[in-house]
Amino acid sequence: MASVSTKTGDQVNLNLMPMLDIFSILIVFLLMSYSTDPVSYDVNSGVELPESTTLTALDELPAIKVTKTEILVNDKKVANIIGGDVAEKDRSQGAIFPVYDELKKLATANARVMRGLSEADKAKMNALTMEMDQEHRFKLMKRIMLAAQQADFITFKLMVAKQNN
Amino acid sequence: MSEEKKRSSKDKKKRKMKRKGIPYRDIELNIMPFIDVFSLLNTFLLMSAVFLSVGILEVQIPFLTNAPPEKTPDERVLEIKVEMEKDKIDVTAAYSRPPVNEQKKSFKPTKEDIAAMHKFLVEIRRANPDSDKVQFFSEDDVLWKDMAHVLDAIKVKQPGDPVFPTKTGSDIEKAIAAEFLYPKVVMASVML
Repeated sequence: MASVSTKTGDQVNLNLMPMLDIFSILIVFLLMSYSTDPVSYDVNSGVELPESTTLTALDELPAIKVTKTEILVNDKKVANIIGGDVAEKDRSQGAIFPVYDELKKLATANARVMRGLSEADKAKMNALTMEMDQEHRFKLMKRIMLAAQQADFITFKLMVAKQNN
Repeated sequence: MSEEKKRSSKDKKKRKMKRKGIPYRDIELNIMPFIDVFSLLNTFLLMSAVFLSVGILEVQIPFLTNAPPEKTPDERVLEIKVEMEKDKIDVTAAYSRPPVNEQKKSFKPTKEDIAAMHKFLVEIRRANPDSDKVQFFSEDDVLWKDMAHVLDAIKVKQPGDPVFPTKTGSDIEKAIAAEFLYPKVVMASVML
């Protein structure tokens, strides 16, 4: 019990036992929900992920983030989204040119690193993880995938929120 | 407990211990370090707590190549296509060579119909355990969240679904077969 004396000499005691009770219950709850997943990632505040029953966990950070208003590749903003689509000036043959540009640089960097890697690691590097807001349409996803296809990325890991069963 | 009662119980203890010959000492437990540890632990756990679990749905897109298409032998393979529109989902299973034996069903993008679509896909897989690939076509105006539910129904096994035999019996294939109904989903609409 913590205590303090006043000017008149009276002792005022602060009962810390309830605080200890709260702390211990909070610690038990947080320890039980503590995750030891290999990748811990906070979803972008501008993105609401769709729900899914998938059991496959996220194994790498997303390279492409599509929020409600912008597209980012490796945390670098490449295009704005207006009315669910990109501007005409950013489009080329149905794909998004700035996305293709950044992914081409990524592919070049990956090619340098991939020389000494196993097949499994090479396959992992050739996959792109994409975090996309659930209200976007397939039209926008197709434009991004077309840009990735031009940059020789053909496998996509689409991020979803795991449903609690 | 009032101060008087505390003092009287303390006096009783002192007298008891004197009788036994044990020197009486007032012991107090210092709980401040305990509170320090708890508060630090709480801060660390709160900062690292994950309240939203994130998963992935893996899909592929057609590969672009300038090489001429390979001349495949006249093999009769089952092609499964799922065509999604804003208010309709068509599932077609047909062989590449006669007899085609086409099976086609339409579903609505509701929870119940998507569950029925999943059961239909399970029946197709049961009849053709070697077919592990689905081609997914989608209209431009379909929402990603609706697509995610359909991809779930195509890819992910539900409780009660049978486990299909693997081609080589390797551990990786068995793990994939235990989790997925159709592990390979190709977004066939993604074409220039």
